[in-house]
Amino acid sequence: MNTALQGWGLWIALAGATFGTYFCRAIGVLLAKKINQESEIFRWLAAVTYAMVAALVVRMVLMPIGLLATVPVWIRILICVLSIGVMVSKPTRRLVPALLTGTLLMLAYGVMR
Amino acid sequence: MSSANQPYIDPSEIALKGSVVERFKNRRDAFWAGIRDAAGAPAMVLFAGMVGFGAMGKTNGMDAWFTGATSFFMFALPGQVVLLEMAITGSSVIAIALAVTLTSTRFITMTVTLFPQLHEKDRNRSLYASVHLLAMTAWAISMREFQTIEAKHRSSYFMGLGLLCWLISVPGTILGYFLAGMVPPAITLGLVFINPLFFLLTFTEVEPWVNRIAIGLGFILGPFFFIWDRDTSLLTTGLVAGTAAYLFDRKVLRKKAGVIG
Repeated sequence: MNTALQGWGLWIALAGATFGTYFCRAIGVLLAKKINQESEIFRWLAAVTYAMVAALVVRMVLMPIGLLATVPVWIRILICVLSIGVMVSKPTRRLVPALLTGTLLMLAYGVMR
Repeated sequence: MSSANQPYIDPSEIALKGSVVERFKNRRDAFWAGIRDAAGAPAMVLFAGMVGFGAMGKTNGMDAWFTGATSFFMFALPGQVVLLEMAITGSSVIAIALAVTLTSTRFITMTVTLFPQLHEKDRNRSLYASVHLLAMTAWAISMREFQTIEAKHRSSYFMGLGLLCWLISVPGTILGYFLAGMVPPAITLGLVFINPLFFLLTFTEVEPWVNRIAIGLGFILGPFFFIWDRDTSLLTTGLVAGTAAYLFDRKVLRKKAGVIG
């Protein structure tokens, strides 16, 4: 593994990330005056965004860094599947129970191992 | 950060209703209603996510100031996670800034769907300040509630809502950071797991098929691009999977509307 960013490098990265995040919000304000939310570029941008966040999530679950990496991968996947099961078990989606299910199952695994 | 985090909604749903009964007496009333609405389940979920992020910062050797500062300055959980993960694996500053910016592009669509609903008088330069409060939670609730709030009180309501969400996220992060250092590893494990789980669960609420396909392709392609080159994997996965989903939607799905989506 490469060495982690440290000291000033870390804070410069935060500054860059903060600027980028705010930049997107500000562009939104700028465009809000005269935007067509049906336009093709926005459909494309949204798809790219979702794919990116999905890639991030699958990486956090399958290839985590640190403590979560000590849990066998099939247990991580099993808990995810069970939580999603709770989430979609009712038409009125239940985020909080599903979140609790997953978190408590992971906690239970940590206690038992 | 729960329902309807998809940027596309039926335009008729956000059309301003002219004859809404006055729901709030004045701006102050609307502001506090926003605070009250934030204080329920939505803020608790956001708080839990931030606690999980704080724990993540601690277990990966970041300091408390840095971990807390990301919540204060960025206030965008997926972006914060990207920043942390890339910093840990030693990505370059430029790559980090680019990747975080791209994960934040959803704010563009979120802003352009929300702010046009504010009263003409409130759509001024002050929005450049209040837009920092815009995150998935406040956006989803505002999209729902704005329809029952008269236009002149919407900006106050949004300010109350967003402000509380933002303000609780910093103590949430710091609490998570110190909890991870003090409680048994089993509890820390549960805390660290909250974030990936939270994002995973919100995916079940994404509506348009183009975005669902993008998520599915992202799941499949993400690990391959990660093995290929970890630094750029989020960018490449996003561009390849997102463009593929977009083209598939454009060439195939939209031709047979009514069958799907």
